[in-house]
Amino acid sequence: MVNDYALELRNVTKRFGDFTAVDDVSLEIPKGAVYGFLGPNGAGKTTTIRMILEIFKPDSGSISVLGQPSALLVRNRIGYLPEEKGLYKKMKAWSIIAYFASLKGMNRKEAKKKAYSLLERYGLADFADHKTEALSKGMGQKVQVLASIAHDPDFVILDEPFSGLDPVNQQVMEEVIEDMRKRGQTVIFSTHVMSHAERICDRILLIAKGKKIFDGSIPEAKRVIPKRWLLHTRGRIDALGDLPGIRGMVEIPIKQKESPEPIRAWQLRVSDDLNFQSVLQACVQNGIVLERFDQTEPSLHDVFVHMVGDEAKEATFR
Amino acid sequence: MKYSLFVAMREYAENAKTKGFWVGLLLFPVIIAVAFQVPSYLEEKATPTRNFVLVDQSGLYEEVVDKAVLRSNVRKKQEAFTKYMQKYMKEEFKANQGELDLEKIPAMNLAPGQSPQDLQKEIMDRLESSSSAELELLGTEQGWADFEQTTAFLMVEDRPPFEEPRVRFRRVDLPTDLSPEMAMDELSEGLKPYLTGSRGIEVEGSQGELFAAILIPEDAEAHILRDFMSQAQDQATANMGDPEEGHQGVQYWSVNLADLDLRSVVERGINNRIREQEYVAKAIDIQTVRQVENTRIRFKSLNPKKAVGEEEVSLADTIRQWAPVGFVYLLWIAIMTVVQMLLNNTIEEKSNRIIEVLLSSVTPWELMVGKLIGIAAVGLTMLSAWILSLVALLAWKAGPEATWAMEVFEVVQSGGLIPAFLIYFILGYLTYAGIFLAIGSICNTLKEAQNFMGPVMLIMMVPLITMMFIPKDPNGTLATVLSWIPLYTPFVMMNRAAADPPMFDKVGTLILMVVSCVVVMWLSAKIFRIGILRTGQPPKLLELFRWLKG
Repeated sequence: MVNDYALELRNVTKRFGDFTAVDDVSLEIPKGAVYGFLGPNGAGKTTTIRMILEIFKPDSGSISVLGQPSALLVRNRIGYLPEEKGLYKKMKAWSIIAYFASLKGMNRKEAKKKAYSLLERYGLADFADHKTEALSKGMGQKVQVLASIAHDPDFVILDEPFSGLDPVNQQVMEEVIEDMRKRGQTVIFSTHVMSHAERICDRILLIAKGKKIFDGSIPEAKRVIPKRWLLHTRGRIDALGDLPGIRGMVEIPIKQKESPEPIRAWQLRVSDDLNFQSVLQACVQNGIVLERFDQTEPSLHDVFVHMVGDEAKEATFR
Repeated sequence: MKYSLFVAMREYAENAKTKGFWVGLLLFPVIIAVAFQVPSYLEEKATPTRNFVLVDQSGLYEEVVDKAVLRSNVRKKQEAFTKYMQKYMKEEFKANQGELDLEKIPAMNLAPGQSPQDLQKEIMDRLESSSSAELELLGTEQGWADFEQTTAFLMVEDRPPFEEPRVRFRRVDLPTDLSPEMAMDELSEGLKPYLTGSRGIEVEGSQGELFAAILIPEDAEAHILRDFMSQAQDQATANMGDPEEGHQGVQYWSVNLADLDLRSVVERGINNRIREQEYVAKAIDIQTVRQVENTRIRFKSLNPKKAVGEEEVSLADTIRQWAPVGFVYLLWIAIMTVVQMLLNNTIEEKSNRIIEVLLSSVTPWELMVGKLIGIAAVGLTMLSAWILSLVALLAWKAGPEATWAMEVFEVVQSGGLIPAFLIYFILGYLTYAGIFLAIGSICNTLKEAQNFMGPVMLIMMVPLITMMFIPKDPNGTLATVLSWIPLYTPFVMMNRAAADPPMFDKVGTLILMVVSCVVVMWLSAKIFRIGILRTGQPPKLLELFRWLKG
């Protein structure tokens, strides 16, 4: 049987002493997908990644990478960028890239050529012969990303690839991932920044406190939270609260000119089966004058906060 | 294994590029070369001519002192001339080690009725003689010129003229404000400013420094110490005069009491004269005394371990006994240097988190092996460079002027010291590297590592301390006990190498060393595997123990 998954986790659990870092996580990642690992600090993203790479062994559960029971068996087809970035300070940019590529089984001559071509493609040609200690943090990080993908791995794991990069280089990083997608490479990356995930991920995994909270495509994720409608009125809208299907309403402060009867903005969280008609009807009946009526799509950020908001806060203070 | 090799190659390339490596590499031969050169340089250049004044109120010893000083100066000249002659000797007269081969002296240079042996004797006498008459003859201008004439045919024609070395001692006139007739107290008081350097003294027309003053009182003869017992009796019966008076004699004034050469030359000269006079006074034939004085029995040191006929303890044997000390020191420095590199690299990889990328590519074991090989290669490169430069320097220095260098050279070449050195380097390196790798893997910063290094350094100091004692008793209890402690085996066995330790010790400690090396590697691999990925505080001892069990 042809296994179409680049990665499969089955009920994986990892404990450090009394602390459960990863709790019964199962996951399948199809080949060629760009997959985002999202979650608050301390959620278990890095531990999961380390288990995938077999830097740690899970306490229970099984992991299969590129159809093999251990990442070590296919380590030359895997590329890895760790969360904490660092390079040998005294080595030159090209030679670090070539060194890591050669450790992945690449011929040394080819590795050197590849290093120079990658540095050129991503705007670091002038720094190829600089020692890494002479590079800025962002440049160093780019070098490290290139080092992790120089051997054209089938499966790339990037832990927080965007952290520490300026907006321009974040854009370059997105291009790097996009290029890999085009070549059919499977990419997993973890991030805190939802906008990146929203733009480039096919699917996302959301974990908090070691537990899987969501696993699916981005439209699916957005369907998890209630639809939101935006109303602008002059006066209060309390009367709408009695309407079945309205799950909550909050006033959103908006900026406007001083006036005796200012416009007020409201966000309604509504159930899927509620339609515009019944809301409009209720407004007319209660004498609410609508200035604006809008349906807004929730951002991934909203989804994230909705799903892990409380845990995230808790995790921060642990 | 291929990946270990890549790791090793990187470690080697990166460490061989560091400044520290090159400084260590080049500094060693420079230090050795300087150590070779400085003593002879100091001998030749650093000791200036010593100016002294002599006041002999007794009028008995002035000539004796002058002659003693002359002899001493001539002897220095002789030595310099010997070197000069060896340097410019014609090739055909050169025997091995650059010495004069007298059998090759052509007959035409011989005086009628003189055999080559006679000429040899003549030249050698002149060059090495310490007889007063000979020295005094050479001290005259004519005498020296004749001597140069006699030896000229031995040397190449286009040689530069012989440069006379600086004289050792030079007698200068008393400063004009003092006169030899003044009382001793006044004289010594008057000379003080000159001796302390606050006033210069006229030396051959220019100002110079007065090194010493020798004052001989008028009644010097009265102060000659004779047989102590009879003198005491005399004093007891006579009961006269100040007992202190009996201790007065020649006064030697100088601020420099470290360089006593002048004093001994003068003292020996005067005492010889006094003794001669005593012999005469007691009607003893001086010739007989000389003969008696030169009577002696031969003494030699023998070593029962040597083959029959070679038991004599030579300079080479002494060097053979002590040369290992140098090797122990080199071994220690080399091991210390490279395991430090290993520690630094491991900590760099750990603190930069490069380790995670590495471990996604290679197993911890492959990484560890790679690092060990790479750094061992660095160490071996350094050691080879050191040994080669040492051998080269010795070969360059070795010659008739420095037979010791030749002996060291031979000792280093023979005796299996170098193979032993390499074996002990590898084993010692692996053991200590294992320990340092384990330390490096559990520490995040060098500072943290320092805490662990303290005890390790303390342990490592022991062979350095015992290094100097062991050659004196190379197969004694201390040496034997230390040899069986694996951490010390390489150093102590190296220390003992020349003393031919029992086969049991040699093989036994080697086996123990290999076994302990494997054990250390195995344990440190366990610590390394877990420690290298660990962040935060270094583990407690108990935790380490759990890692080892797990």
